[in-house]
Amino acid sequence: MSTMGAAASSASASSPPRTATFTLDGVGKVYPGVVAVSDVTLSGYPGEVLAICGANGAGKSTLAKLLAGQERPSSGRVIVDGYDGEITTPSAALDAGVLLMHQEPVIVDTFSIQENVWLTGLSSAGRRKPWQLVGGRERAERTRAALGVVGMRDADLGMPAGRLGPGPRQMVALSRSQVNEHRILLLDETTASTTEEHFKDVEALVRKEREAGATVVFVSHRMPEVFALADRIAVMRNGSLVDVVETADTTPDEIMTLMIGEAVMALEPPEPVSPDAAPTLLDVRGVSSGSACDISFSVREGEIVGIYGLVGSGRSSLARSISGHQRRETGTVRVRGREVHPHSPRAALREKIAYLSEDRRREGFVKDFDNAGNLTLSTLGSFSTGGVLNVRRERRRVARLTDEFQIKGGAERLTSSLSGGNQQKVCIAKVLESEPDVVVLDEPTKGIDVGARLNIYQIVRGLIERRKAVVVVTSEAEEALTLCNRVIVLRDGVIAGEFVSKTSTTDDLTRTALGGEIQ
Amino acid sequence: MTQDTAARTADAPPKAPGETTGGLALRRFGQWSKEQYPLYILIALLIFAGLTSDAFFSSYNLSNLLLQVSVIGIVTLAQFLIVLTGGIDISVGAVAGLAGVLSAGLFGGGNTLLAVAVAIALGAAIGAFNGYLIAYRGLEAFIVTLGMLALGRGLVYAYTEGQPVSPHAADFRTIATTAIAGVPVLGVIWIALAVAVAFLVRRTVFGRRVYALGSSKEAAYASGVPVKGTMITVYVIAGVLVGFAGFLLAARIGAATPTGGDNYEIDSIAAVVIGGASLVGGRGRVLGAVLGTLIFGVISNLLVLLNVSTFLQDAFRGALIIFAMVLTTVQFTRRRRHRTAPTAQIAHS
Repeated sequence: MSTMGAAASSASASSPPRTATFTLDGVGKVYPGVVAVSDVTLSGYPGEVLAICGANGAGKSTLAKLLAGQERPSSGRVIVDGYDGEITTPSAALDAGVLLMHQEPVIVDTFSIQENVWLTGLSSAGRRKPWQLVGGRERAERTRAALGVVGMRDADLGMPAGRLGPGPRQMVALSRSQVNEHRILLLDETTASTTEEHFKDVEALVRKEREAGATVVFVSHRMPEVFALADRIAVMRNGSLVDVVETADTTPDEIMTLMIGEAVMALEPPEPVSPDAAPTLLDVRGVSSGSACDISFSVREGEIVGIYGLVGSGRSSLARSISGHQRRETGTVRVRGREVHPHSPRAALREKIAYLSEDRRREGFVKDFDNAGNLTLSTLGSFSTGGVLNVRRERRRVARLTDEFQIKGGAERLTSSLSGGNQQKVCIAKVLESEPDVVVLDEPTKGIDVGARLNIYQIVRGLIERRKAVVVVTSEAEEALTLCNRVIVLRDGVIAGEFVSKTSTTDDLTRTALGGEIQ
Repeated sequence: MTQDTAARTADAPPKAPGETTGGLALRRFGQWSKEQYPLYILIALLIFAGLTSDAFFSSYNLSNLLLQVSVIGIVTLAQFLIVLTGGIDISVGAVAGLAGVLSAGLFGGGNTLLAVAVAIALGAAIGAFNGYLIAYRGLEAFIVTLGMLALGRGLVYAYTEGQPVSPHAADFRTIATTAIAGVPVLGVIWIALAVAVAFLVRRTVFGRRVYALGSSKEAAYASGVPVKGTMITVYVIAGVLVGFAGFLLAARIGAATPTGGDNYEIDSIAAVVIGGASLVGGRGRVLGAVLGTLIFGVISNLLVLLNVSTFLQDAFRGALIIFAMVLTTVQFTRRRRHRTAPTAQIAHS
C-alpha cells in the first residue's frame, strides 16, 4: 500500500488547462422517495483521472450512470464535448464515446474469453452488421494485445469465461476498453470485486488511458487506490458534491472526513491471545483441499486468526473445506477436541461451524427474501414446533437482530435492495444466529464502503468477547492486521509465515505472500 | 457514533419515522392491492359474464363451474408447488390420467377407498421418481417430466386399449355427486387442499425452505437448507395431489377415460403464471394459483354458455395464456425497473 502512495505524488503533477471532455451541468436524479443526486456540476478534462468518492448511498454510482446514459437526469444536462445533444440513453453515451465498466463485470459465462472481450461488438450501437462474421486470426492477436494490457496475456482465449475467478472476470471486462473507441472511461467501483494484486493491472490500464488522452472517471471508496490513480478527487455526500480537490493537496484522512462528514476512528489491532489464556477451540491438522495443501493451525476461544494470501494461495479453499462447503481431501478438523467431518454447510452448522461466503450475492442471502426471512433462514428450527413456524417468536427475534446490527429498512425490506454494507450485516447476523463456536468469515468487507466497513469490523471484533473462534480470510493486508490477533500468510497453498498483528506491518504480510520478492 | 453515520448515509428511507400502525396497515393494504392483478381480472370477467349471460349466475351453473374447476384446481396446486422451486411439471395430465384409469381398473375397481389409495400411491411414486432425477441427479425438470408425460400417457392407452374403464364400486361417484348445502363436495375438497397448501408454504419450516431454494439455490444451500431433500418432498407432495386429482376426475365422469387429464399441464401452468408466480421460482402465492384456476374456469364456462364452438374455445384459452404472460411481464418490469435497469442494459455496455 505504501508503494501506491508514492505513485500518487508523481501522477498528480499535470494541471488541466484544456476544454472539458464532459460536463455535468446542475445534474440531479430523483427516484420515488429518494433524492439520489442533487445539483451536481462537474467537468472532466482530457488526460485526467478524476476520482468520485463517497460512502454507499452518497450518489456516486448514480452519477456515473447519469454520465453513461444509463439513467436519465431529473434535472440538469449531461454534455460530452463533440457530441450534439444531451446524454440520456446508453446508446447516446456510446456514440459520444463514454465507456462504462460496471462494478459487477458484464460477462457472458458461456462465451469464451475472446468472445467476451468483443462482446460490445454485438450491440446495435457497434458498426457491425448481424451478417458479418466473427473471429479470424487477426482478431485473436488483437484480443491478446487487449488482454495483455490488463495482465492476462497468457489467458486461454477459448476457455468459457464462466470458469474465471472474480478478479480475472473483471479484467476481461476491462480489456474491452482496448477494443472499443472511447474518450471517457468510467470505472464504477470496478476494483470492488478484485483483490489487491489485480490493482497494478488496473493502474497500468489507467495510465495507458491517460497517456492516450482519455478522461478516466474512477468511482471508488478505497482510499489507497484513489490516491494511487487520481489527479483530482470529487467527494460526494448524501447526493451532493461536497468538494473537488487536487490529489496532491490532500490526504486520505481528509477525503474520508469529507466523505462521512466526521473523522474516522481507526481501530487498534487486538492484543495477541496468550497460549494459556484460553483453550483451543478449532484445531486444523494437515488439511488439503483445492489449492490448499497440508495446512495446520489452531484458533483459541476469543481469538481472531487471519488467513491472508493472494488469489490462488488456497485461502478460500481452506475456509470452504473447514466449513463443509468444499470437499476435504486429507486432514482432520477438531472443534473443542472432537473430530468433525462436515460434508455440507448444513452438517457444518450442526457441528457449530458457520461460514460467511465471499460471494454475497450468490451464497449470502436469498434474493426474493426480506431481511426477516434471510436472518432466520439458518435457524428455522428454533422458531418452530413440529415444523410449524412460530411467526410471533420469529418476528421478535428479527426485531432484536435488526436493532442490534443496525440493519437498514428493518424486517420487511428486501435484502437485495440494501447497500452492500447492510446486506453484509444481514449475512453476518444470520451466520451468528446459528450460535456457532467457530466463525469463518471469507472477505467480510468485500465491496463495502468505509463507514459500513468500520461497522463490520466492530461486529467482528465483538466476537472476541463472545468467546468465538474466528477465522478471517482476507486479501487486504491492512484488514488482516486491523481485525486479527494473528495472521497466517498463505503462498501457493502452503503456510508461508505467521505474524502477530500488534508487531507486524502490511509490508511484512505482502512480502511473505509474494515470496520475498521486491514489489 | 460511526454506526449512526453508516445508517444516515445508506440509501432509501424505509418509512417515515412518525408513521402510525394504522398508516402502516393502510400502506400495506395499498401495496397489497397493487399486486392483485389476478383478482381484478377475475372480477372483470365475472362482471362481463353477468352482463352477457343470464344463465351464468344461476346456482346450477355456479355449482357446475365449481365441479369443473375443482380437479384442475388441485392439479394447479401441485404445479404451483413445483413452480415455486423453479421447476415445472408437464407430466401432471398424464399422471392424473394414469392414476384415474388404474384406480378405476385395478383390483376390479370394487372398492372406492382402495381406488383412492391406488391413485395416491401411484402419484407419490411417480413424484418421487421425478423428484429423485431432478433433485439428486441434477436433471432438468422440463425434460424429466416431458419423458414422464409420454410414458404416462402411453401406459394409459396400453392399459385401457383406448376404451374407458368403468369401476364396479357403487359408491365410486359419490364424492363427486354429493353436495353440502348446495356446494359440491369436490369444491370443498379443492378449497380445503388450497388452504392446506397455503399453510404449508407460508407457515412451516418446509415452506420457507421451498421459497428459499426456489429463489436462490446456492444461498439456501449455504444457509443449511437441505436442498435436495426439500426438493424431492415437493415432487412427492405434488404427485400425491395429482394422483388424487386423477381419482376425482374419474369419479366425476363416472369412468376413467384414456384422454382424462389431457391439457392439464397447459391449464395448470397457465393458471399458476396468471396467478402471479414466477416461473424462475421463489415467488408466488396460493391465492394467486386459486384465482388463476377460477379465471380459466370462468372463461371456459362462459364460452360454453355463449355457444362458442369447442375448437374456438381452445384458441381463446391459448390467447388468454399469452395475454396473461404479457400482463405478468408488464407487472414485473414496473416493479423492478429501478433495481435492474443497469443489468438490463448489458448488451449496450
